[in-house]
Amino acid sequence: MANESSVLTEDYVTRVRELAQTVESGNETEAVRLLDELTSLREKTLYQELGRLTREFHEALQSFRLDSRITSLAAEDFPDARERLNYVVSMTAQSANRTMTAVEESMPICESLEQQSSSLRDDWNRFTTRKMGADEFRELSRRVGEFLDAVSGGAPQLRHNLQEVLMAQDFQDLTGQIIHRVVLLVDEVERNLVDLIRLSGTSITPLQEEVSHESLIAASGPPVPGLDQGAVSGQDEVDELLSSLGF
Amino acid sequence: MNKNIKILIVDDFSTMRRIIKNLLRDLGFTNTSEADDGTTALPMLQSGNFDLLVTDWNMPGMQGIDLLRAVRADAKLATLPVLMVTAEQKKEQIIEAAKAGVNGYIVKPFTAATLKEKLEKIFERIEASQ
Repeated sequence: MANESSVLTEDYVTRVRELAQTVESGNETEAVRLLDELTSLREKTLYQELGRLTREFHEALQSFRLDSRITSLAAEDFPDARERLNYVVSMTAQSANRTMTAVEESMPICESLEQQSSSLRDDWNRFTTRKMGADEFRELSRRVGEFLDAVSGGAPQLRHNLQEVLMAQDFQDLTGQIIHRVVLLVDEVERNLVDLIRLSGTSITPLQEEVSHESLIAASGPPVPGLDQGAVSGQDEVDELLSSLGF
Repeated sequence: MNKNIKILIVDDFSTMRRIIKNLLRDLGFTNTSEADDGTTALPMLQSGNFDLLVTDWNMPGMQGIDLLRAVRADAKLATLPVLMVTAEQKKEQIIEAAKAGVNGYIVKPFTAATLKEKLEKIFERIEASQ
């Protein structure tokens, strides 16, 4: 472009000089010819400029058409991603509930075994230190039998429940893949948005928003390490902060 | 510590309510009820003779901080102990909760030991002030 325009300027300069000379020397025919040449030169530049504008316009339209991808993002990919993320929420909830059911079923078994064994241990100690009569021993031996039944019934149940807890973690692989796919979509949307902004010729300068107290205390969900500023790092810091406030 | 006290657990996620309920039961507190946000919790509190409120912050409908303010503004509930269990952990938020009159503040994820410690602290203070 720069070269083209300097060549043009040179063309003009030579012809204008020649024109001045021919007019001074009174050569009218030559002067008219030079004027015609200058006019056509001017028109040529105009047409070139017009051509350039047309080409740019065409390209802009073309890239807008290419960005029909944006339309399909909004119409298909976004609802699709929303469904996928909802599925992640329901899968993780399901897993949590499955785990908690297994735990809730296991707790009473543990508690009962704990109680029985601790009471048996006390009596067993009395027996080994020979502080137990024959009747009491018969009673103890009956309870030991009961306890063994409880253990052989409870242990497989506990093992089954632990297996259930283990299997309830199978969501992680699946949700991981789904979330990864949504991250790719977010990447693509970001690229498209940047292109669109570039096309519109607006430079990207983020608005400096004033941070209000309301927005500072607005619920924003769990902080993500490295992303959310102003969050305390854990319970210890919460306790420190509260105790500095007189709690 | 009286284990028969009536506790309301407020969280929009049923899994979190279930975790808190289980932890409380493990600590011996079995008299618990549940609500999924402030809007449902407030009428329950007003009519239910609760002794402790355990609430999340970020919930649809009425948020935990607004529930706390509503509790403090209600003459009948004003002295109800409130324990906040939340993922919200900006300094400004913790200060705001303190100003609103929260009795304890636990950030998620939390441990059973933390819950126990904060509950004990809340009841110690109540007993000391009585």
